[in-house]
Amino acid sequence: MPASASRKTGLEQLSDDLAAAVERAAQTVVAVNGRPRIAASGVLWRAGVVVTAHHTLRREEDLTVTLADNRTVPATVAGRDGATDLAVLKLDAPGSAEFADGAVKVGHLVLQVGRTGSAGHSASLGLVGAIVGPWRTWRGGEIESLIQLDLAIHDGFSGSPLIDTSGKVVGLNTSGLGRGVALALPVPVVNRVVDGLLAKGRIARGYLGVGLQAVEVPAALAAKFAPPARSGLIALTVDADGPAGRAGLQLGDVIVTVAGQPVADVRDLFALLGPERVGATVVLTGLRGGAPLELKVTVGERPTQ
Amino acid sequence: MIPITTELAGIAARVRAATVQVQGRRRGTWGSGVLWRPGVVVTNAHVVTGRSARVETADGTVHDARLLATDEGQDLALLAVSTELPPPALARDEPRVGALVVAVGNPLGLSGAVTAGIVHGRLTPRRGPPIILADLQLLPGNSGGPLADVLGRVVGVNTMMVRGLAAAIPCEVVERFVERAA
Repeated sequence: MPASASRKTGLEQLSDDLAAAVERAAQTVVAVNGRPRIAASGVLWRAGVVVTAHHTLRREEDLTVTLADNRTVPATVAGRDGATDLAVLKLDAPGSAEFADGAVKVGHLVLQVGRTGSAGHSASLGLVGAIVGPWRTWRGGEIESLIQLDLAIHDGFSGSPLIDTSGKVVGLNTSGLGRGVALALPVPVVNRVVDGLLAKGRIARGYLGVGLQAVEVPAALAAKFAPPARSGLIALTVDADGPAGRAGLQLGDVIVTVAGQPVADVRDLFALLGPERVGATVVLTGLRGGAPLELKVTVGERPTQ
Repeated sequence: MIPITTELAGIAARVRAATVQVQGRRRGTWGSGVLWRPGVVVTNAHVVTGRSARVETADGTVHDARLLATDEGQDLALLAVSTELPPPALARDEPRVGALVVAVGNPLGLSGAVTAGIVHGRLTPRRGPPIILADLQLLPGNSGGPLADVLGRVVGVNTMMVRGLAAAIPCEVVERFVERAA
């Protein structure tokens, strides 16, 4: 149909709206030059603060950030958290992202806006595939909720914003948490981690210094615990100088409760080792060679990855 | 107001009308092409292997098309086809990043298949002309077919997949090639 100057077709309007949303968001999308070859994306999250994906940052010295106006400015690392794959940089740059008021829903159209160098911004379109959580990442981070995306995260798009069709930020994209699955961290999750990183430079997590695997507790021994324990965690490796090693935990010991809570799975233990536990003393109960075991352990802090 | 999906089907039909199927002389080389001017078809150089090609236009007619010009560097070829079918409108401006686009072609032997996505960005290689990247999937047989905007205007000629993205030669680059060759 010939384009009438006054009235646009629905599809033309949608196409213009998507392009306008991308242009609007692109003003606060930056390229983070922190690894060889292709740069990663980042977002001017707050005034003078850029958030990007931790796994894309291969160096902390000589970091620069390329802004929307193609100026390249130096940046320093304020903090990084491997568990949630987030890194926070400080720099001298104006502007900050606009955030959506409500949460996205499954089926919503969303866009990714990336910047991977000085050649301008680029974009991808897809859907919110699922919203999952709370979820514990494979590196032990606690994430309240997570957006699973029905789109591909292209090279350099980790650390880019996920935006709605009005151009407002709803999350931060990363391919580093889902082992290839396209995921985005919702804005409130990113805010929580950014607050922590700006305050302390890291997100502290409790650490015992043991490698554990879930095992079944034989029925005859299960009754020794109240409530009866069906499974526990067997120590497969013990760092002799780690918190549990110093407290006397040995290879082959089975941990059944920590701080009075049953631990049937490694995730149960992660949940009990939040930032507030660092430096606190907890009681571990379990079994050694079929006999009851009780140890007092002062929780350490997980070394940074 | 016409539903968006109905509109999309209408655009696809119009772009299809200007899309052709191209078979090189060697067996197994086939792709797509787009009617650029009356009686002139543009396709990729890698689709045409000899001095002529078999071209099937959207009305089902099969033509023996003569090769007018090729540019291996830009991967473009021009064919003369005796058809009365009108060429499509060409987009005057470069498409915006985020704008909706459709690709039409003959992937895997399917005639006139349509794929939709958005403009991802523009890539300017150190050597050679700039290319449009689109967030959609091209398959073997899509090569040489049109990438069009939501008004059915051709914005480029689809060429290949680059790192999971569709790469198309922009209209103005194709136009310069046609000017030189015609």
